[in-house]
Amino acid sequence: MAGALAGLRVIDLTVWFQGPVAAQHLADFGAEVIKVERPKGGDQGRGVRSIKALPVGDWNQYFLVINRNKKSMALDLKTAAGREIMYRLVERSDVFLSNLGAENLAAWQLTWEQLSAVNPKLVYATTSGYGPYATTSKPAFDMTVQALTGLMSRLGEPGEPPIYLGMGSGDAYGGLMAALAILLALWHRNATGKGQRVDASLYGAQLFLAAPTLQAWLATRDRRYSEQQPRAAAHNPLWNTYRAKDQWLVLCVPNRDDAFAALAATLEAAGAGRAAPLAGDARFATVAGRREHARELVAALDAIVATRTAGEWMARWAPLADRRIAASPIATFADLVRDAGVRANDYLMETYCEEVQRPVTVRGMPITLSRTPGTIRSLGPELGQDTEMILFEMLGYDWDEIGALKAAGAIP
Amino acid sequence: MTRALAGLRVIDLTVELWGGIGAALLGDFGAEVVRIDGLGPSPAVGAEDERPPGAWNAHAALAQRNKRSLAVDLESERGRELVRALVVESDVAITDRRRADLVRLGLDYATLAARKPDLVYARGSGFGPKGPDADAAAIDELAAARTGMMPILPQPGRPPVFPGHGQMYTAVMLAFGILTALHHRARTGEGQEVDASLLGGNMYGASLDLQAYLAIGGERMLQPISRLDAGNPMSGTMYRSADGPWVTLTMPDTDRWWPIFAPLVDLAVDDPRFDTHDKRCGTHRLEMMQVLEAAIRRRPAGHWRTMFQEHQLSADIIESYEFPAADPQVRRNRYLLTIDDPSAGEQTSLGFPIFMSETPARLDATAPARGQHSAAVLHDILGLSEDAITALRDAGTIAG
Repeated sequence: MAGALAGLRVIDLTVWFQGPVAAQHLADFGAEVIKVERPKGGDQGRGVRSIKALPVGDWNQYFLVINRNKKSMALDLKTAAGREIMYRLVERSDVFLSNLGAENLAAWQLTWEQLSAVNPKLVYATTSGYGPYATTSKPAFDMTVQALTGLMSRLGEPGEPPIYLGMGSGDAYGGLMAALAILLALWHRNATGKGQRVDASLYGAQLFLAAPTLQAWLATRDRRYSEQQPRAAAHNPLWNTYRAKDQWLVLCVPNRDDAFAALAATLEAAGAGRAAPLAGDARFATVAGRREHARELVAALDAIVATRTAGEWMARWAPLADRRIAASPIATFADLVRDAGVRANDYLMETYCEEVQRPVTVRGMPITLSRTPGTIRSLGPELGQDTEMILFEMLGYDWDEIGALKAAGAIP
Repeated sequence: MTRALAGLRVIDLTVELWGGIGAALLGDFGAEVVRIDGLGPSPAVGAEDERPPGAWNAHAALAQRNKRSLAVDLESERGRELVRALVVESDVAITDRRRADLVRLGLDYATLAARKPDLVYARGSGFGPKGPDADAAAIDELAAARTGMMPILPQPGRPPVFPGHGQMYTAVMLAFGILTALHHRARTGEGQEVDASLLGGNMYGASLDLQAYLAIGGERMLQPISRLDAGNPMSGTMYRSADGPWVTLTMPDTDRWWPIFAPLVDLAVDDPRFDTHDKRCGTHRLEMMQVLEAAIRRRPAGHWRTMFQEHQLSADIIESYEFPAADPQVRRNRYLLTIDDPSAGEQTSLGFPIFMSETPARLDATAPARGQHSAAVLHDILGLSEDAITALRDAGTIAG
């Protein structure tokens, strides 16, 4: 079955994470993505050997997952013949995507002005660090840009170091934004015949990632949204993390009298061994009281929740979903891998890895299309594996010319 | 100026911040978005306490901008039928309501697609369209708790951390999924159902940590790792400066940066403990982090920022929201905007994370009051007469 984006051709001149993952979204839904890499070593992501001080193992998942469903072409863009090949590719493609520095693209004559002259219908997409109107010029990596947004310094307990949202968290968002930008520009091109230049930067994306608290802070300048807050003084003690006997859980109950009463009843029924039941405690009898006495209420809930396992609490609370009581044990990745819903929705998928000749589990399709679902047809390509076929079949070079290109060092 | 999504009409049945933003992203680029506001209290299930107090509803300003509002009684069949009629005249419907509610209201995919077969119907869910939790409440905290990131975000021994941004991946996934389905529809004439869940969004945000666990496994991938036990002392690390702010470094290719970086932290480039990548990231990894910890601590944050800029290093200071709010390039790129709200006056809001040279995002309209466009929407799209609209208003089917 053809994917939703079948018929689109994308030139993917990107390295590391943010750029490659943008093209991955398009490739998952059926676009033909041609990854163009330098002949020597290719994308730097191919060189990742360890993660968290552990060897990556026998397959480099960093590279292979975000470059799945792609072809690879090795081109030396420093040579005139290499650039000529790139221009021919651009002529026959819908999208050019790059996250290389603007100075690189200029040196290789791959600017928007130059490529749109070759193909006026081209969508020219970049994933930059600080945006098209940047004043900062230094290299941009996920964490150093996340640092600027303010996202990190509001997380964690007061006095603890700031918290990074996870490896590639911002790159992933910038990549998704770029994929959206490309589809927006293609929609416009299909209507008007005109290409354009689009950009989704790490900085812009990560500011948007902060929206729930950044937007609130902009309106109020209230430090509650911008600085570390102790869980022991949660703004709503009923919407907070608690440690059960065996593990942490998250409790999501709105600070409303009816919901609190329903929750208190379950705590009571659990025979949690408190002398004074929560329901009769005057301090906690009103919305304002629960907020004013947040520390005392968190402490009381800490003591009660700790008496039973997360599983026991879930069994008590599950029937109360319609009373606005929701909760979940706080899982680990090991739990996630066993999660039936995760598999049912293809959020994790099995696919065959040529490199190690066995099936491996990879991140699947976070977006579900009922009629044209995303698919994994192959993991990341070997460096330059499709170079000659693309030259021959798509670009019309003959074998003599291909030999000359090799001699000129344009291709390996 | 032309708009990227000119001519596209979207019926917005969302109630949560993230669902609303998913639809607003389409409006920002020129789609006509009609927001359906019920007459009763919002059935949103997300954290109410996130919503900032005060006269100006900052979240609505972001999530409902560039939309028109129709206030209609969804508890009446007449009201629901108006919404269905609007969907028939549109390209996309987007919602983040519970499936059971949608079925009860007759606003589910099956009902609407029977009347409008090429409809693109997008639903933001909690845990995806299939599986045991297909109907569970779409609350970001619950999805984050299921993802596996919360325990490993803090330093060892500290409570798990709810990061709060997972929903924002989902918001963009909804918009991306809709555009993907529209491209398919343009080629084939076929509509379909799109789902993006909070769990899918949180998992995607956890991408590399999760993938590393899948491929490498082991206890280390399930536990918080001390910041002084990082895999690479020069990448993904943070150290505290003399005056308090934290410094963060990301220079994965240490061979390339070491000759520039070493003198800045008072080390000789040929220091035999650290003179190769393998020593820095292997045998002398932990020692190097202690050395960097002490070196960074000797000088203030301002010094470090100057050095990083001067030497073009991928390293920076960990800031708070004050920083981007005052950063001129943030305004130049329109990542933050000053907007003129009709009731609250001048306010700062998040702007547009996507740059387009020919069809840039625009703020055509600030968030509407509930029902602000009820009459106009019914007249423009359904061709209802003034009398018919008055009758609906008198019957309490619509407001505004």
